[in-house]
Amino acid sequence: MMGSTGSVQNFELYQSYSARTAWGFHAMRFEDDQDEIFAAIQHNWLLKRWNLPSAQANIYTGIGAGAAWQEEGDTGPAGIGFFRADYETRRVYAACDAKLAASPEVSRSIFSAEAGIAPYKAEFDQINTWFIFQAGHVTAMDDTFELIPKVRFFKGPYFLELGSTLRGRPVASFMIHF
Amino acid sequence: MKLPSTITILFLTAGLAQAAPDRAVAIRTTVNGMVCSFCAQGILAYFKKHPAVSNVHVDLTRKSVLLEERKGHSISDKEIIEYIKKAGFDPVKVERLKTSFQETKTGS
Repeated sequence: MMGSTGSVQNFELYQSYSARTAWGFHAMRFEDDQDEIFAAIQHNWLLKRWNLPSAQANIYTGIGAGAAWQEEGDTGPAGIGFFRADYETRRVYAACDAKLAASPEVSRSIFSAEAGIAPYKAEFDQINTWFIFQAGHVTAMDDTFELIPKVRFFKGPYFLELGSTLRGRPVASFMIHF
Repeated sequence: MKLPSTITILFLTAGLAQAAPDRAVAIRTTVNGMVCSFCAQGILAYFKKHPAVSNVHVDLTRKSVLLEERKGHSISDKEIIEYIKKAGFDPVKVERLKTSFQETKTGS
């Protein structure tokens, strides 16, 4: 998975080894007065899933250990963690998550909430379309609060999300299931 | 007088016995939590690779996974249930249908 929300870029590559666990690589780049990059080997868990007749809800968490690089040249150990909850039917979607990237020099937190609707109920082999509104907050950044309208498409193993912050910064996210 | 009827019955029975294996069995599993095609990709990928399955169809509207058994092979209800659970969903019931895979996919 690759994604960018204007001032934060995200790259994630995971291998699931059960329906509830995955491990992989997670990198985040924060573009500010001083850029920082965090990279870690991360493990994710699906803590709880509710499978309802017409809906699904999930709670996930993950932690990772790695390194952080600052623009000035400082390098040190770092950790990444996240917590996420989501709820989805075929027409309605809601999610919230918190991510933390921390090193002895600097730490960043990202909080975001998303709500979306699907204009039609797509069948399994059709293109799914979602209109999503995201509100996000990144600590210790110049632009700490962003509102992001976006459109999400997925079909088969491919997932694409495109949008723009209200300040005009493009937002893109791409995922593929191997 | 009895001989002709006996012969007729034998032919009829032989005809039925021959017809049965030609009709592939469709298996429909009702699944809870299957609301997103991106998330249900694992179910499709697994059953497509299964040697006893010749056809798979995921139906989000009917909340079901439809399988067609390959001739001469079989997949047990237990295996279907276990795999759907392993993929992260809740199977509700497995039904072995009298209609064919195509008929069930398009009609029921």
